[in-house]
Amino acid sequence: METWQRLIKRQDFSHSFFCGVLRDMAQPKLPLPLPFEEIMQRHRREIMRYLLRLSSNPEDAADLFQETWLRAYRAYPRLEAEDSVRPWLYTIASNLWRNRARDSARRARVIVPDEKAVPAADLIAKDHRVDHETEGYAAVHLRELIADLPGKQQQALHLRYFAGLDYAEIANAIDCSEESARANVSQAVGKLKKRW
Amino acid sequence: MKMETLIGAAAIDSPEEVIQGLLLRSSAKLDKALERVRRPQAAVGVVKSKIGDLLVALSARGIVLNHYIEQSSDVAAALSKLRLQFDPVEDRTVVTAVGEEVDRYLTGAANALRHHVDLTLVGNPFQKKVLDKLEAVPRGALISYQGLGAAIGSASSARAVGNALHNNPVPIYVPCHRVIASDGRIGGYGGGPGRKRQLLRSEGFALGHGAVKVPDNVVWGHRTTQIFCRASCRAVARVGRGRMLFFADQKAARQAGLRPCKICRPD
Repeated sequence: METWQRLIKRQDFSHSFFCGVLRDMAQPKLPLPLPFEEIMQRHRREIMRYLLRLSSNPEDAADLFQETWLRAYRAYPRLEAEDSVRPWLYTIASNLWRNRARDSARRARVIVPDEKAVPAADLIAKDHRVDHETEGYAAVHLRELIADLPGKQQQALHLRYFAGLDYAEIANAIDCSEESARANVSQAVGKLKKRW
Repeated sequence: MKMETLIGAAAIDSPEEVIQGLLLRSSAKLDKALERVRRPQAAVGVVKSKIGDLLVALSARGIVLNHYIEQSSDVAAALSKLRLQFDPVEDRTVVTAVGEEVDRYLTGAANALRHHVDLTLVGNPFQKKVLDKLEAVPRGALISYQGLGAAIGSASSARAVGNALHNNPVPIYVPCHRVIASDGRIGGYGGGPGRKRQLLRSEGFALGHGAVKVPDNVVWGHRTTQIFCRASCRAVARVGRGRMLFFADQKAARQAGLRPCKICRPD
């Protein structure tokens, strides 16, 4: 069930897909990877969704989105033809987000030495979270809980439940072992259960 | 309720119209930013010719890649090198012209190769200099590795010249087959010595199947004195073979503006 839903989501069963298959059978093709535009068309929405979940406000997400695709374009020639694109894109997005979060935390420490002062990003984040009044309370509350999780667990959780990657792919994306990916996800779920 | 289901629900009700709006707003900006870093396009394709299958790539400035295909793994390797500099697009129609040019050249048409050469794939400045200099060696003449090194000002770099020719991305168009060892042996070739002999035969050298040396009727010309000699001439021994060009026969040497030596009388 989950598998075919994922396939349809990836739009692999479109008309042009079958036309492509027929054309490929007629002529031997060069082992060229997909053109980058195609990759962008297929994955831009889910990358944007992922970044929106991770970052505290839409502006940050849009920023990271642009940076992610620029980096992806530059690194695209070094991606081997048989490597899969999706975890690779999530890797780039995750790394960028992590670096950005670390840098802004450092900057906030420098600019706001006062312990009591709340970093501006947090205020915006709170605004953003209560923004969606149409959503159920459960979803809003849960999102707050998720945002409070440690970075790695948060990422692992996102990739597992929202992006639907399997553990090997998550391990690849956040640069850890498969066991550690599994542990991060289960710890995240455990913490959410406890705090719920 | 199970926590996993809850998490799933939190995923579904993320505001779809927010995503859509953000995508719309950022895509124009993204396209502009991508435009600035975009690699130039290159049309690639496999073309059959009399010298074997070739993987050809053409940029807006000329022919970028003309690669002998021995096995299918060659194609992948060559393509991944090409992708570092260009965005390849498969296009058979553009590259067939190259195949026709090569075929006509092999049947003896001297000026069949019409495409300009684009040496973008050669990153090393020394190697680029070597390949650029090869244009000075006309059809019907040969130069030695040592001589080519001397021509770009480093006579002791015959090995490095050999490496540069080994990395030549555009064989035939950049005539690296016209470079031989200074004692007259044919030497190696990226596409194998058989192809080197085939190309040299089409340029007027009488090379039998499996020949390892240039034939005896080849004359040795000196670039500065403008004199050509037999290989056995003592003048050749004196000036050093690194500074010589080889010509297919005395007619070719005369055409290049050289006169026969008065000691060995090659005419």
